[in-house]
Amino acid sequence: MEPVSRRHFLVGSTAGLAGILATRVPPARGQVREVSYLCWNNFAPASDKKMAEIGQRFTKDTGIKLKIDHISHMGPQQSKYASEVQTQAGHDLVEMRMHFPWLYEPQLVDVSDVVAGLEKQYGKALSSSYEGAHVNGVWRAVPQYHGMFVAAYREDLFKKASLKVPDTWEELYTVGKELKKMGNPVGIPISQNYDSISTAGPVLWSFGGMEVDKDGKTVKINSPATAQTIEWYKKMFKDCMEPEVLSWSDASNNESLQQGKAGWIHNPVSAYIIAKQKKLVTADGINHHRSLGGPSGRHETDTPRHIGIWKFSKNVEPAKEWIKYLIGNKANYDEYIMAGDAFNLPAYEKLADHPVLRTDAKYAALRGEGVQYHTYGWPAPPSDKVQLITNTYLLPNMIAKAVTGTSTKDAMAWAESEMKKILAG
Amino acid sequence: MAVRADELAVTRSRPGVLGRLRVWLDREPVLGPVLVTPALLLLLLLVAYPFVMALYFALSNSFIGRPSEFIGIRNFVKLWDSDVFRQTFQNAFVFTGIAVIFKIVLGICLALLLNEQLWLKRLIRGAVLLPWVIPTALSTLGWWWMFNSLYSVVNWTGIALGIMSPPGPNWLGQAYYAMAAVITVNVWRGLPFFAITILAGLVAIPKELYEAAEADGAGANARFWHITLPLLKPVLAVVVLFSTIFTFSDFNIVYVLTHGGPINSTHLFATLSRQIGIDTGRLGEGAAISLYLFPLLAFVVWVQLRFVRKQQF
Repeated sequence: MEPVSRRHFLVGSTAGLAGILATRVPPARGQVREVSYLCWNNFAPASDKKMAEIGQRFTKDTGIKLKIDHISHMGPQQSKYASEVQTQAGHDLVEMRMHFPWLYEPQLVDVSDVVAGLEKQYGKALSSSYEGAHVNGVWRAVPQYHGMFVAAYREDLFKKASLKVPDTWEELYTVGKELKKMGNPVGIPISQNYDSISTAGPVLWSFGGMEVDKDGKTVKINSPATAQTIEWYKKMFKDCMEPEVLSWSDASNNESLQQGKAGWIHNPVSAYIIAKQKKLVTADGINHHRSLGGPSGRHETDTPRHIGIWKFSKNVEPAKEWIKYLIGNKANYDEYIMAGDAFNLPAYEKLADHPVLRTDAKYAALRGEGVQYHTYGWPAPPSDKVQLITNTYLLPNMIAKAVTGTSTKDAMAWAESEMKKILAG
Repeated sequence: MAVRADELAVTRSRPGVLGRLRVWLDREPVLGPVLVTPALLLLLLLVAYPFVMALYFALSNSFIGRPSEFIGIRNFVKLWDSDVFRQTFQNAFVFTGIAVIFKIVLGICLALLLNEQLWLKRLIRGAVLLPWVIPTALSTLGWWWMFNSLYSVVNWTGIALGIMSPPGPNWLGQAYYAMAAVITVNVWRGLPFFAITILAGLVAIPKELYEAAEADGAGANARFWHITLPLLKPVLAVVVLFSTIFTFSDFNIVYVLTHGGPINSTHLFATLSRQIGIDTGRLGEGAAISLYLFPLLAFVVWVQLRFVRKQQF
């Protein structure tokens, strides 16, 4: 081999560097395919460990490096998304809760091809996943799992007082009165948090009400169905609950049940899972029954999660490969779901009766037959304006006003006026 | 060996690079800007740039990740139409007004106490600073636990002492109690700043003035009103200025303790701005909320700084 002169070396390396800079593509020999994934700290921590394990196998099988970062849900997650979008830099994949794909629609890759494959395999995505991630005719995120709201109650106390497990919101009032007398009130938050909306929405829908019509433009909150909902809340607040529910955070109802105070709460199974893991004395007495119905049926807000890919990502194909590996590979998906101890349930219809529901007799209620799942604001599409209505807590605040002295009529008029201003703006 | 004078002159006239740099920097017109530049760059990057960006967002219909356009002051006008915003506006003045008054009064009392000859004076002065030093989010979590309806140690103590009837006040669930709770935490956290700064002002007051007043028969009250307070005015003006701005823009305490509730009764500009700007993606409106009071606060700063200058010169 001819020795390389200094002149040749300089010319060659300069030309190569210029080429890399111009095309912004590194030379193939040094290229390692790598994707980064931002997801939240799961309420069932074992599923995070399982995901890391599956991630390592993914790297081994495909040669694609996977970097998983976790972030606390709610507040920090939203700030992180906003900063990644504004700076057009950050992770390739992001876990999105509820309706987030609607908020970030222009920044998310069309993943309809991936969802089509999964639906072929597992059946249609659940209605709540569809409402949250199918934006204007395009799948902007892939349904990953859902956490389901059920009723968690103290079965031991119910048996002791010979109380009938309720099937409707009205029946809950009957047993709630007894529970409060026993010192174990019903625990439904009426405050500025998401659990408040997750209960207020289903109650409203079950009575036949809605905030905004399905056209996304007409405010429908001022209605006889809303009045019925408010009246139900008023009597529940007075006879079945304690004023503390006005100050509750998302975790308060769980804690109240776990610490032996609340006799009935509306929540995913996380309250029981944590009680079981921490070996709390209340764990054995807790059981679940399916969510309640009303004159207009049994509706439910559950918490669908999806995986989205940012458009600024330079690794869209490897990112899709990871989603297919985690969800599309049945063995991996089953393993992941099983690790979540029934907190993370499959988001596809054919997997609704998953073996995880048979790991504990207390998960029987989670089969959820006859429940219609919706995201916040249903039946209106979760547009940015409907999100503003949700995230300014107008629904729980309307109820909080009513239970603390404002007349039902005035509370509804206030909510209607605020919602109209938002939709007009 | 003797060295000739002309040889020395030649050596001095040819300094090295470092030497020349030293000579160059020795000139005041050069050294001044060189010393100021790092601070100026920091100010531009960390203060001016975010401020200009916020101003731009506030005057646009900016939404996270979507193209935006200039809409003038429409965000500011529209905000006033919102019941939640008007409530926030009122909350901010109630919160700041009450908290600053409490911090002034208690701050002066604490400073006077710390100025006395106390046992373990240094230790006590250091301990007083703790609320100021601990990260706010962390200490507020402690307060949240104390006010929490399920675990409230405040209510437990009150009930045990017989001064509260069970279950005790609903601290974070009733509008007035919730406002009292966030003000209490803000006063607890801001008090050390007042106390230590006022203490510095107290220490600087010449002892002779007190001795002369005492000789003239002035009592403790007269000495406080006619010597201490007038001489503390410049310090107080600066402390109140900073505290007013910090209190108006408080975020952590309300975000951790009440999340703005119940029924928006504790929302402040910063918490509402985050809720609208980040949680719902409306950056423009969020920025407008946070800048709403900027003209008023700028005026307050101008008035107070003028006052401070008059006092000093």
